Amino acid sequence: MYINKLNTHIIPFKFEYHAPKSVEEAVELLSRYGEEASILAGGTDLLVKMKQRVIEPKHIIDIKRIKDLTGIREEEDGIHIGAATKLRTLERSKLIEEKLPVLHEAVITMGSVQIRNMATIGGNLCNASPSADAATPLLALNAEAKIVGSEGERIIPLEEFFIGPGKTALKPDEMLAEVISPYLPENAGTSFMKIGWTDFDIATVNLAVILKLEGEVVDECRIALGGCAPTPIRVHKAEEFLRGKKLTDEVLEEAANIVSGHVRPRARWRRAPPEYRRAVSRALTIDALTIARKRIEGLEVNRGED
Amino acid sequence: MMAQGFRLIGESTPRMDGIAKVTGQEVYSSDIHFPNMLHARVLKSPYPHARVKRIDVSEAEKLGAIVVTYREVPDVVYCPRLVSTPEATYKDWRVLTGRPLYVGDPIAAVAAESEEMAQRALEAIDVEFEVLEPSFDPLDSMRPEKTSIHERIMYMGKEIKIENNIACTMEIEQGDVEKGFSEADVVLEREYRTNRRYHCQLEPKTAVVRPEPDGGVTIWTTTQSIHNTRLLIHEIFGIPAGKINVVKTALGGAFGSSIQTNIVVPIAVALALKAHKPVRLAYTREEDLHEHCSYQMIFNLKLGAKRDGKLTAGSLEAILDIGAHQIQAYPLLGCLVGWWVSLYKLPNLRYVGKAVYTNKVPSCAMRGFGNPQITWAVESMMDELAEELGIDPVEFKLLNHVGLGDLFWGQGPTVKSIIKSSGVEEIVRRGAKLIGWDKRPKPGEQRGRYRRGIGFGRGFHTSSAGGPVPGTAVDYTGAMLKVNEDGSFDYITALMDCGGGTLTAHAKIIAEEIGVPLECINIVRSDTQTTLYDVCTHASRGVYAGGMAALQVAREVKRKLLELAARVLDAYPHALKIRPDEERSQGVIYVEGVEGREITIGELASMARHKNWGTIAAVASVRQGSCPPHFTAYFVEVEVDTETGKVRPIRVVAGADVGSVINPKLAEGQIHGGFAMGWSMAILEDTPYDPENGDLMNRGFINNYKLPTPADLVPPDRFTVFFANTYEPTGPLGAKGIGEGALNPVAGAVANAIYNAIGIRFYELPITPIKILKALREREGG
Amino acid sequence: MRIRFKLNGREVEAEVEPNTLLLNLLREQFHLTGAKYGCGIGECGACTVLLDGEPILSCLTLAVEVDGREVTTIEGLAGDGELHPLQRAFLEEGAVQCGFCTPGMILTAKALLEENPNPSEDEIREYLKGNLCRCTGYVNIVKAVKKAAEEMAG
Ligand SMILES: Cc1cc2nc3c(=O)[nH]c(=O)nc-3n(C[C@H](O)[C@H](O)[C@H](O)COP(=O)(O)OP(=O)(O)OC[C@H]3O[C@@H](n4cnc5c(N)ncnc54)[C@H](O)[C@@H]3O)c2cc1C
Ligand code: FES
Ligand code: FES
Repeated sequence: MYINKLNTHIIPFKFEYHAPKSVEEAVELLSRYGEEASILAGGTDLLVKMKQRVIEPKHIIDIKRIKDLTGIREEEDGIHIGAATKLRTLERSKLIEEKLPVLHEAVITMGSVQIRNMATIGGNLCNASPSADAATPLLALNAEAKIVGSEGERIIPLEEFFIGPGKTALKPDEMLAEVISPYLPENAGTSFMKIGWTDFDIATVNLAVILKLEGEVVDECRIALGGCAPTPIRVHKAEEFLRGKKLTDEVLEEAANIVSGHVRPRARWRRAPPEYRRAVSRALTIDALTIARKRIEGLEVNRGED
Repeated sequence: MMAQGFRLIGESTPRMDGIAKVTGQEVYSSDIHFPNMLHARVLKSPYPHARVKRIDVSEAEKLGAIVVTYREVPDVVYCPRLVSTPEATYKDWRVLTGRPLYVGDPIAAVAAESEEMAQRALEAIDVEFEVLEPSFDPLDSMRPEKTSIHERIMYMGKEIKIENNIACTMEIEQGDVEKGFSEADVVLEREYRTNRRYHCQLEPKTAVVRPEPDGGVTIWTTTQSIHNTRLLIHEIFGIPAGKINVVKTALGGAFGSSIQTNIVVPIAVALALKAHKPVRLAYTREEDLHEHCSYQMIFNLKLGAKRDGKLTAGSLEAILDIGAHQIQAYPLLGCLVGWWVSLYKLPNLRYVGKAVYTNKVPSCAMRGFGNPQITWAVESMMDELAEELGIDPVEFKLLNHVGLGDLFWGQGPTVKSIIKSSGVEEIVRRGAKLIGWDKRPKPGEQRGRYRRGIGFGRGFHTSSAGGPVPGTAVDYTGAMLKVNEDGSFDYITALMDCGGGTLTAHAKIIAEEIGVPLECINIVRSDTQTTLYDVCTHASRGVYAGGMAALQVAREVKRKLLELAARVLDAYPHALKIRPDEERSQGVIYVEGVEGREITIGELASMARHKNWGTIAAVASVRQGSCPPHFTAYFVEVEVDTETGKVRPIRVVAGADVGSVINPKLAEGQIHGGFAMGWSMAILEDTPYDPENGDLMNRGFINNYKLPTPADLVPPDRFTVFFANTYEPTGPLGAKGIGEGALNPVAGAVANAIYNAIGIRFYELPITPIKILKALREREGG
Repeated sequence: MRIRFKLNGREVEAEVEPNTLLLNLLREQFHLTGAKYGCGIGECGACTVLLDGEPILSCLTLAVEVDGREVTTIEGLAGDGELHPLQRAFLEEGAVQCGFCTPGMILTAKALLEENPNPSEDEIREYLKGNLCRCTGYVNIVKAVKKAAEEMAG
C-alpha cells in the first residue's frame, strides 16, 4: 500500500526534535537513540526521504545550531570544511574558489539557489548518493572525513567513507564532523563535469579530474566518477595508465575507455541504461582532461559557441 | 484586412488580476480555508487492475475520521467532461470504485480535523484485493485473450458492450485513396509514437466543498468550467442545480486537465455531505500525477505526392492509449481527423481511429487536444517528403496548406467552416527570412561534435468549437454587463481565466467598443448562481467565442446609453459619440460638433437612478458560427552534442496569425509558454510505467518528471515573436485565439531541426539524449 | 513547541509540532497563502520564502528551525501599498500568467537583485532555475527581472 503512505504536503508521522548546541551533545543523543535517530542538516535529502516514507526516524537531531560544525578553515594539512557548512557558503567562498576550484565548480551546479541555501556539504556526503556532486571532486582531491562518535574521533579517506548507495562507514553513534581536503598540487589543472536531463537535475553521470603535467607528460592525474556504480569511485586504473604519458588523442581515448569500463550497472537504474552512462563517461573524461590541460596552459575554456 | 484605429486593442496592458497575483493576495482553490473545515485524503489502488474483495474502515472510524467507500457513493456511471452532446459521450466513471483500473484509482476517502489525522486514518483502512491481469500497451490490450478493463459502459442511457478493450472507433473515407496513392510519384509510410505527457500545471487538483443549510453545496475547485462542474454534481448527487454553487477562483494552470471535473470534486462532495462540515481535498503532486496525462498516440501515416509537389492522398491509422477511462476519447477521434485534414489538402483520404483502454492513468486533453501529436507526425513527414521530392519544405508546405477560402474541419467532421482570414504565407515567409532559412546546413553533412540545425514546423488550432450547425460540441458563452451609478461597469461572466489573460482581453473589448477607459471595467468575481452558462475555457475559445459575448453586451449597453443620453442632451442617438476621459476615469457622451453638449456616463447613470429609468444593462448568450483557425509557424535552431546526445535550443523565431492582437505582451507570453511546452514534449517529457508493479516509473514524483528551467531555454534576445496583419471578420474586433496554436507545431519544428543537424529522423517522442546517442552510434557502425 | 520569529517585519509567536513544516505554518496559522505547495520535494520553488533574506524552500523546512530568525513572504514585499519594482515589472512585462509560480519567482528574484544589482540575462536564468513555471516559458520573467534591476539602479 505504498501509494497510500505518500503525502508530501506534510511529514505524516511524529518524531522528537533535538537541537544540540555542541558536537558532544549531538554524539550523546546519537548514542542514546541509535538507529531511531537521524541527523538533520539542510534536510534537502532527509526531509524528502521522510516525506517519501523511505525512513521514519523517531528522533531528529538538528545539527545546524552547532557552531563547530560550520565554517571553512585553512590549515597546514589542507582546507577543513565543517560538515554543516552550507553549499552556498562554499559557493561564495573565495578560498574555495581559488584553492579548491574543482569543488567550487561542482557546488555551483548543485540544485538551485534555494537548495544550496539549505543543503550542506556533510549532508551530500552522508546521504551517499552514487551521483552526489560534491563527492567526486572531494574524492579526486584525496579528501578525508573526520568522524566523531562516542568512542572519540577518527579520520578516514573519503574513498573508504562510501560503502554503497545510501551507505557510509558511519556507525549509528557517529557523525561526520569535517571534510579535510589537501591542497592541490602546484600548477594542477582541474575540471568537473556533469550531465543531467535539465539544468536543475541530479547527475546521470558526473566526473572530476585533477591533472598535473611535467612538461607535456602527465605527472599525476586523479579521476573520480559518479552515477556509474553503487558509490562514487576513483578510477585508479585510468590514473595509472595516464601517468608518464603525453595527452595525445589516442591516450585520451584509451583513458576514456578505461573510465567507461568502470561503469557497473545497477538493477534500479531507470534514468539511463549502462550503455548511455558508458558513452557519456567516456565523453566527459576526454572533456575534463582537455579542459584541465587548457586550464594549466592558462587558456580560456568555453563549451560550444553561442 | 488588418486591425486599425483601435485605442486599446493592440496595446500591451497589464492583466487586471495582476496586482493580486504579484502580491500573493490572489485566492486559488487550494487557498480556501474555513475554521471548522475537515481535511480529506483518498485511498488509492496500489494495483493496476484489481477487485476489492474486502474493505474494513472500522479502524479509521475509530480514529474519528469520516469515511466513504465505493459502496456508499451514488450508483451513477458518468463522464466527467460535459462538453459534448450525449451522442458523443461515453460514460464509464464512478466516484469511487471497487474494481480499480490503474494504480491510483480512488477506492475510498477519509476526512479528519487535520491532514495528518486524515493520513493516519487512511493508513488504518484495511483492504484485500484480488489482483487481475493488467494491460499497459494499447496494442497488447486489444488482443482478444486480454482481460476486459470495462465489460460494459453507458451510452445514451443504455449499456453497451466493450470488445477487445476498444473504447470507441471512427472511420472516414473521402475520394479514392488507392487511386490517389497510385497517382503519386512518392509515397511515404511511417509509424510514429508519441509520449504520454503530464500537464504539470503548477497547482495540483483541489476541491473545497461546504455543505449549506438548505441541503446544497458550495464548491471552490480547480476547474476550467464552473457550470459543467455544477451540472456534473447535479447529475451524480441529484442535488437541485440551484442549490449547487460553484465559485470562481483563480486557477494555477490547467492546460486541459480541468476541462473535465476533477475527481477530487465528487469525492469531496460525498465527504462533505456525510460530515456536514466543509471539506478540503487538495491533491499532492504525486496524486496529481496519478490523476491525468495526455493521450499517447500511435500513428500509421501515409502520404503520397506528385513530383510537382501536390499531395494526392493520405491515410492515417491512429491508435490512442486512453488509459483506464474515457474522458473525451470519441470527440478526440473526431478532432484528430479534423486536425489532420486541415493542415494540408488531401484530395483522397482515409482515416481509422481507435481509442483503447489500458490500465494506466486516464488521459485527457492537454493543450492542443491531439493536435500537437498529429502535427508532429505530419510536419516530420512533410519534411521528409519534401526532401524526397527535392523541394524546399517551406515551399512544399505552402503549396499544399489549407488556407484562405478553404474548407476547414476545425473541431472534426461535425464542425466544418470556411477560412475567412489567413496569415500563413506572411508568417512562414517572414519567419524563414528572420531565421536565415536559406543558409541552413544540409542534413547530415556536419562532422564536428556540436552540430546545429534549423527546423520548420507550422500548424494551427481552432478558435473555439463554434460552427454553423450544432455539431456534437457544446460551445456558447453568456455575459452580463451593467452600468454602475458612478459610470463604471460590472462585467459578469462564468468564463474562467486559466492564466492567459482572457478576462483582461474581454475587458479591453468592452472598453474599446463603448469608448471608456479600461479601469472602468470591473470583472466580477462570480459563481454559477449569478452567471449565465459558459461551456469551458478550452479550445482557444476564451477570446474568440467568449470575447464575442463580451462584445455583444458592450454593443447593447452602448446602444442603451446613447438612447438615454439622447433624451438628456436633446440629440439623436446616432449622432452621439463616447470618448474616454482618463482623468475622470469615465466615458463621456457628447454630441459631435456641438460644444458643451455632453454628459459623463456616471452622471447619466445617476440620473437614470433618480428618474427611475432603471439599470442600464445587457445580457447575452452567444454561439459563434465558426471556429476559425489561428495559425503559427516556428523556426527553431538547435545544437546537438553528438557525444552526450543532449540538444539545446539556440534560436527561436515564431510567427502567429491570431487576427487582431488584443494584448501583445500576453499574446507573446502564450507563444513563449507554448514553445517551452513543445520543446520538452519533443525532447524530455514522458510517463513510462514500471511493468513490475504497474505504477508510474516516477511514482508521482517530479524529480523524475523534469521540466525545462529558464537555463534550459533560450534567452529573450534569441526568441523572436511576430504577428501577422490579419483581421478575422467573425471574431470580436477581428480577434482569433492563440493558446493552443502556440504549442502545436513546436515538436515538429524541433524534430526537423534535429534531423537537419545530424541527419537522423526519430519516429518516437521524446527524442531523448539516450535515443539520439544510440541512433548516432548505430549509424556510425557500432 | 513554542517558537518566536520575525515574520514580514513583525515579531510573532506560534505553537508548532516538531513535524510542522514552515509552509504549512505560514499558510494555516498565519493565513499567508502567497507561498504555494507545488511539489513538496524541493523541485518547483513555489513555496520559496526568504529566511534571513535568503531564498529557501518552506516545504522542506521544519517550522522549529525558524525560531529566532526572520521570514519574509511575498505578502511582506510591498510596503504601504507601494508595489516593489519587481512586482511592477512582472505586471508590466506580462511575466504573470496563472500566477501560481509568481510569489516564489519574485522572492528569488529579489534575493538575486540584492546580491547582484545588475545581473545579465544568463545570470538571471541561472539564478531562477529552481522556480518552475509551466505557463510563461520564462522569457517575460527574465525581461521583468532585468527591467526591475534597471529601475532599481535608478
Ligand atoms: C530539488 C533538489 C535538487 C538537488 N540537486 C542536487 C544536485 O544537483 N546534486 C547533488 O549532489 N545533490 C542534489 N540534491 C540532494 C541534496 O540537496 C544534497 O545531497 C545536499 O547536499 C544534502 O545536504 P543536506 O544538508 O540537505 O542533507 P540532509 O538532508 O540534512 O541529510 C542527508 C543525510 O545525511 C545525514 N547527515 C547529514 N549531515 C550529517 C552529518 N554531519 N553526519 C552524519 N550524517 C549526516 C542525514 O541524516 C541524512 O541521512 C538535491 C536535492 C533536491 C531536493
Ligand atoms: S513545494 Fe517546495 S519546492 Fe515545490
Ligand atoms: S505563471 Fe503559471 S506557473 Fe508560472
